[in-house]
Amino acid sequence: MVARFGPGTRLAHWSLAVPFVLLLLTGLTNYWPELKAIHVGGARLFGWLHVLLGFGMLGIVAALLVTVLPRKAVRGDARQLAEVGLDDYLWLQHQGLRLAGESSNPPPVRKFNAGQKLNALASLVVTAGLLGTGVVLGVNYVSKEVFSVGLVEPLFRWHTRLALVFVPVLLGHVYLALLHPSTRESLRGMTRGVVRREWARRHHGAWEAALEREPGARR
Amino acid sequence: MDRTKAVTRARFLTLIGGGALLGYGGARVWGRAIKGWRYNTVEKPVPNFDPEEYRLVVDGMVERPLTLTYSELRALPAIRQVSDFHCVEGWGVDDVQWDGVRLQTIIDLVRPTSTAKYVTFHSLGDLYRDSLSMQQARLPDALVAYDMDGEPLRVDHGLPLRLVMPRMFGYKGPKWLTRIEFVDDQDTGYWEARGWRMDAFINA
Repeated sequence: MVARFGPGTRLAHWSLAVPFVLLLLTGLTNYWPELKAIHVGGARLFGWLHVLLGFGMLGIVAALLVTVLPRKAVRGDARQLAEVGLDDYLWLQHQGLRLAGESSNPPPVRKFNAGQKLNALASLVVTAGLLGTGVVLGVNYVSKEVFSVGLVEPLFRWHTRLALVFVPVLLGHVYLALLHPSTRESLRGMTRGVVRREWARRHHGAWEAALEREPGARR
Repeated sequence: MDRTKAVTRARFLTLIGGGALLGYGGARVWGRAIKGWRYNTVEKPVPNFDPEEYRLVVDGMVERPLTLTYSELRALPAIRQVSDFHCVEGWGVDDVQWDGVRLQTIIDLVRPTSTAKYVTFHSLGDLYRDSLSMQQARLPDALVAYDMDGEPLRVDHGLPLRLVMPRMFGYKGPKWLTRIEFVDDQDTGYWEARGWRMDAFINA
């Protein structure tokens, strides 16, 4: 076994993932009139849950920025997600060839492959966009006096676009983490923090080789 | 080698064809999800409209109560009006074209008495109601509409008739309109009873 994600990274992942999924589900009730119509004590149940969860998630983000992001291991993971290199190009080429039905061997990539980096980038952009537009929409949910419909309606559309465009990305992420035979092992890295050395060698060859040379280092 | 190539080509074409199909379907669903109407009703099942049986009753504190059949309603002096629809939930639909009768036209026909201060609008299902002050009902863009975008209202948009108040949120426009009642005391409508404002002018 080799250590893949420290406690800070895992805490950040799950404390964002859980409210995100709850927000997505409560938000999608907009397209299900029977669920949307459920009222508790005169208030629309899923609407209010969505707004309260949204403000709660803002609080979680603020807490993570202050407590978890300064940790060395977390900053290391963030930096490696942002570092683009030749291995990313080779990995994308490898996936393209496989999609076209050609045979191809996976290149030795570092801690994160290009797909994981794109997933992280999409998550960052979508989460920031949803929280930013969501603040205005949440305030507007409480009072219609603060913002004009000329502002609210375009933001509402962008909020919807961002959420819907992310659904396939999220489904892909969950599929690869839970079901896909060759990748689902990686889930253990985000739950218990470790992966099998054999898996690391096959999927993140450059990262595993660096660990081999320098045990204890996270690179 | 040749066989591999053929399979690759078939797969390539499948990908292109499937992608085009997915793209087309996705774009249609996408357009509806972002810019289209969201269908909200508290009347379940949707009230049934029979053009022979339907009557629009205009009564209450008026000198000349009125009962109109669907064809009599459509024979009244009509106007066409294009306005944006704004839902209190935060979504809207731009440039909706309504055909119908000005509320002022109906007011002139029935001649409310001086005691009439408010108007209550009743839906066919007898559950949904909303109300306006006389002053609001006399606004030139206050309309009871039977056509939307050039066609009779769709059932889920309130066939045969709905109230259209372009400068108010959509909940002020009851669908499946069947009775217009002139009263001296403002009725608390369906959503107003659940916390929405009586006076729903939009913060534009």
